[in-house]
Amino acid sequence: MSQVKKGLQSFFCAVGGFFKEFGQAVAKGDLFVKLSLIWMGAGYIRRKQFVKGILMTIFEAAVIWFTLGFAVEYVPKFVSLGTVQQEAVFNIATMQNEFNDYDHSFMILLFSLLSFVVWAIFAVVWLCNIVNCYRLQKRSEAGLHINTFSEDMKEYVNKKFYVTLLALPVTGVVVFTVIPLLVLILVAFTNYDQQHMPPSALFDWVGLDNFKSLFSSGGLTVTFGYAFGRILIWTLVWAVFATITTYIGGILLSMLINNKKTKLPRMWRTIFVITIAVPQFVSLLLVRNFFANNGIFNTFCSGIGLTGWLRDMGVISTSYIPFLSAPIWAHVMIILINIWIGVPYQMLIATGVLMNIPTEQLESARIDGATPRQTFFHITMPYMLFVTGPTLVTDFVKNINNFNVIYLLTEGVYTTTDQLMANSQAKETDLLITWLFNLTQNYYNYKMASTIGIVVFVICAVFTLVAFNRFLKGDREEAFR
Amino acid sequence: MKKVLNIVLRHLLLMFLAFIWLVPIVWLLVTSFSAYPGRNTSTFFPEEWSIVAYKNLLFSSDSVAQFPNWFKNTFIIACFTCVISTIFVLMVAYATSCMRFKMRKPLMNIGVILNLFPGVLSMIAVYFILRTLNLTNTHLGLIIVYTAGSGLGYLIAKGFFDTIPASLREAAYLDGANEVTIFWRVVIPMSRPIIVYTVISSFLTPWMDFVYAKMMLNSGISSQWTVAIGLYNMLDKSLINTYFTQFCAGGVLVSIPISILFVIMQKFYVEGVTGGSVKG
Amino acid sequence: MKKLVALLMTMTMAVSLAACGSDTQGDTGSAAGTSQAAETTAAGESTATAPTEKQDVSLTMWGAEEDQALLQSMIDSFTQHYADYANFNIQLGVESESTAKDTILTDIESAADVYAFASDQLIDLVNAGALLSIDTMDEALQAYAGKSVADIESANASGSVEAATYNDTLYAFPMSADNGYFLYYDSTVLTEEDVASWDSLLAAADAAGKKVGMTLASGWYNASFFYGAGFTTGLNEDGSTAMDWNGTADASGVEVVQAMLDIAGHNAFLAVADGDISNQIASGALCAAVSGTWDATAAQNAFGEGYAATKLPTFTVGDQQIQQGSVAGFKLVGVNAYSQNAGWAALLAEWITNEENQALRFEQREIGPSNSNVAASEAVLSNVAIAALSEQSAYGVVQVVGGNYWDPTETFGEMIAQGSLNRDDTAAIQEALDTLVEGVSAPTQ
Repeated sequence: MSQVKKGLQSFFCAVGGFFKEFGQAVAKGDLFVKLSLIWMGAGYIRRKQFVKGILMTIFEAAVIWFTLGFAVEYVPKFVSLGTVQQEAVFNIATMQNEFNDYDHSFMILLFSLLSFVVWAIFAVVWLCNIVNCYRLQKRSEAGLHINTFSEDMKEYVNKKFYVTLLALPVTGVVVFTVIPLLVLILVAFTNYDQQHMPPSALFDWVGLDNFKSLFSSGGLTVTFGYAFGRILIWTLVWAVFATITTYIGGILLSMLINNKKTKLPRMWRTIFVITIAVPQFVSLLLVRNFFANNGIFNTFCSGIGLTGWLRDMGVISTSYIPFLSAPIWAHVMIILINIWIGVPYQMLIATGVLMNIPTEQLESARIDGATPRQTFFHITMPYMLFVTGPTLVTDFVKNINNFNVIYLLTEGVYTTTDQLMANSQAKETDLLITWLFNLTQNYYNYKMASTIGIVVFVICAVFTLVAFNRFLKGDREEAFR
Repeated sequence: MKKVLNIVLRHLLLMFLAFIWLVPIVWLLVTSFSAYPGRNTSTFFPEEWSIVAYKNLLFSSDSVAQFPNWFKNTFIIACFTCVISTIFVLMVAYATSCMRFKMRKPLMNIGVILNLFPGVLSMIAVYFILRTLNLTNTHLGLIIVYTAGSGLGYLIAKGFFDTIPASLREAAYLDGANEVTIFWRVVIPMSRPIIVYTVISSFLTPWMDFVYAKMMLNSGISSQWTVAIGLYNMLDKSLINTYFTQFCAGGVLVSIPISILFVIMQKFYVEGVTGGSVKG
Repeated sequence: MKKLVALLMTMTMAVSLAACGSDTQGDTGSAAGTSQAAETTAAGESTATAPTEKQDVSLTMWGAEEDQALLQSMIDSFTQHYADYANFNIQLGVESESTAKDTILTDIESAADVYAFASDQLIDLVNAGALLSIDTMDEALQAYAGKSVADIESANASGSVEAATYNDTLYAFPMSADNGYFLYYDSTVLTEEDVASWDSLLAAADAAGKKVGMTLASGWYNASFFYGAGFTTGLNEDGSTAMDWNGTADASGVEVVQAMLDIAGHNAFLAVADGDISNQIASGALCAAVSGTWDATAAQNAFGEGYAATKLPTFTVGDQQIQQGSVAGFKLVGVNAYSQNAGWAALLAEWITNEENQALRFEQREIGPSNSNVAASEAVLSNVAIAALSEQSAYGVVQVVGGNYWDPTETFGEMIAQGSLNRDDTAAIQEALDTLVEGVSAPTQ
């Protein structure tokens, strides 16, 4: 907790310092620095940094063009999310439908947000711009060297190389991950559902109503909370088991293959790697048919009498073994099948990492007379954990959101016999994410899906941030260098 | 004696594991050579062998099965996705691992948080962004969808870069190299395993994804589809009994290029890293 | 007379007098049901005098995978037939009729102008504003196709029109009437008396060492027992589903469930997963199966000589026999409410579903027509599967339900299939029925 506090403190100090400098710049800056408040290139051009000045001017013009040409259409409607219903008049002369200029609530939400993000970026650039111009002014007053454009550019392949590296990936993430995410967070505060689906209907802000109805039994069926609890538990159980089993399995398999005593390590590795080469949707759909109620494995089991034996034992009541169609069976099978899917991946990673183990350490351990077991627990494992620790955390998160495995194995096959689950459009094998998918794709219940999504997100975020900061605690990064 | 037993047991265990791992793959292979077009539920091996499924899939495209088109589409998308994603991942990993700047920690934390959010929820928003750009039903749109967020998958690569001794980079600095040179000449050549890993996993994305692809390519023109949508579609309730064998054949054909990629890459994989002679 | 004047007026506005002349020809042509050749000559004649300025009309259409070739030929004939009025550029895409709703509702604005869908999706599509009211197209249909909406309604079976109508407005053109189910059986194993009731059917199948397959885990199939016993489903004002299965109709809900449990628990009964029935028929383990016309080929192959079909059997409640009901389903063709060229889209939808094309569809794909004339034709009547379907249609119900109907009923069917309810525990059955009704009638979100 104190770490967070410290982080926040230093963050606000930095922000405060920045604004102080900005205030100074506006107060003490010369004419061109002040002119930069409305014409962003001014300060640079005054200091003969023409290219930079022109680039800044173009940037400013582009933002203004964006605002006038695009943002004005959406942002003013952000508060109401649109008021004009779609209407069409049929014109028999042209055989065409003539539409009015109707509002699309979702588009308004999405593009208002996009505009806000653009403006926020603009604001930051604008502030930095003033501060930079003022710094330039001070440098020139002190008679110091002012960088030419090419010198500035050189910075970007050297000290500021990270800016060059991060520019494109971060832009991609902002547009295609952050903005959609923010939109969906906002949707949780609207009534976007099957009754209010754009383009034919408008939706509206409803404040915290969705959260209230999730946590009180008021607006929704009582079963929604029940299904939420059941699914949350299974999601966590699944994520823990799926992560640990494949991780350990991968390390063990890789050590088995890479051991000096193993003949033909490459051949063995290839065999396991080939299973990755079959796309998951093919292999999973295949495995699902393999273990289907009337599938080939059931035929085999009843052939050798296993089915009959289990029925005599009272384990099953059906004429088949419900590998993927009864609660506990399906849960165990899904985790087992996931081992089949996931271990070769982990084996690959582990192989790569194990090959990088500093050999001196292994050598000196051997000279000191350590047993292989000791070497494994005192050198190999710590090293593995150090390198792959962060991936363990991300794997866990990935498994919480592991859509493919669950969806492909259970969609259309698994029918719940729990009526309360069914009444909430859920089933026992659902992860939160497949449940949300079902709610949005088949029931268009975007508002509840977003609300639940946020709750899940908060739970995961708290867990992960704690774990992640553990694994990446400061000096650990340098430990093996 | 104990040593020999150890080795024999070791190989027996490996054989057993390999058997389990290969059973579904073999089933896929033999089913694809079945003469019966539907699901075979009674025997492991088909009752009658035939290559008719491959013939239909490759040479007589109908409105359901347009495999050559799908394969071409997916291959193009996969190549672009793989190149762009790999570059993105390496760039982010280098920046976060080898450089120190003020926003590093906050950015990394934000990255972790973003990965937590259930992606299927924001799919609809991504769809509308692309629709506004007129990129739905185009392959460029799909490439953007697959690559835009790929920078977030940098953690494994970063973990790997962290193990590259800082002394190597420091030596290069002293020789007067700038960051670009170090990135390109020092770090990248030492990172083959992680590059291979990234290339493989990003190349696979378009072959596996059917959720995003189905949403983005929604014009119903089946020749525009990717392999994943096309094959998934074959398992539709009304089609499965006429197309299951073709589905398996399609699965085999898709696996071939990917397997080759794996086998070739594996060579680099092992040769690329020759222990820690210069490290530590 | 007034109508005719108005028609002429609009026609003049739309194209030219010359085109109008050709329309009257096409008009009489289709009314008389003349062949393709007559239509081509009509079109050929008018090209000479056709206006130089024709509209460019781009349309997209979605239809089922299996129908693509057939639909393409219909589109070609459509383009030819109306070649005088516009230059058509019609693109045909694949979208299964059973999943059309999901794709369309994701983004109605870029969905196809004309699409085929199963009738159970109509309500959701109308509520989302995805379907154009055909009534507003009356004028255009009269002007170009020479048919009024009333003509179309009277040409098709009343059930199909009912299924395409919501709030007294026609929202789609009926295309086929075969989206229902009945009983296929192997007449070498079972006699006609055997298949009259579930009791005799299962007894005979057991004696022959074969099974009778039916899907229970689907609200589309398992409703048949309840509909047979006089229960109903419907829609409330707020769009939620109204359901009375936990009450009493001809028999009490509990009694119906007990009858279902008796059937499902029988040794010769095989509860088949939804969509798996064709596979089961093909496997040869069954001597009878409840399914629809889409499995006709599978049944023919499996039963060979003994291939036969009939209405569903009766089931036993107490000491009375109740005829099992069914869901009368239809395939419809609708026009996207966001279609630019709505008029031509409506005409295309009409063309795809008109008498000639329904006949063609039956000829090529053996799909049961909704058009009364085609349905009454010799060829259709002699089709075993379609005859059984129309026999069953007397007990068919147009299923009107909201979105929350499907999951709870599927689970309820699965509970019966797995026997997780005890036949003698009436209190538990009643409770399960109450939970079912509660889930189904929950307000839509």
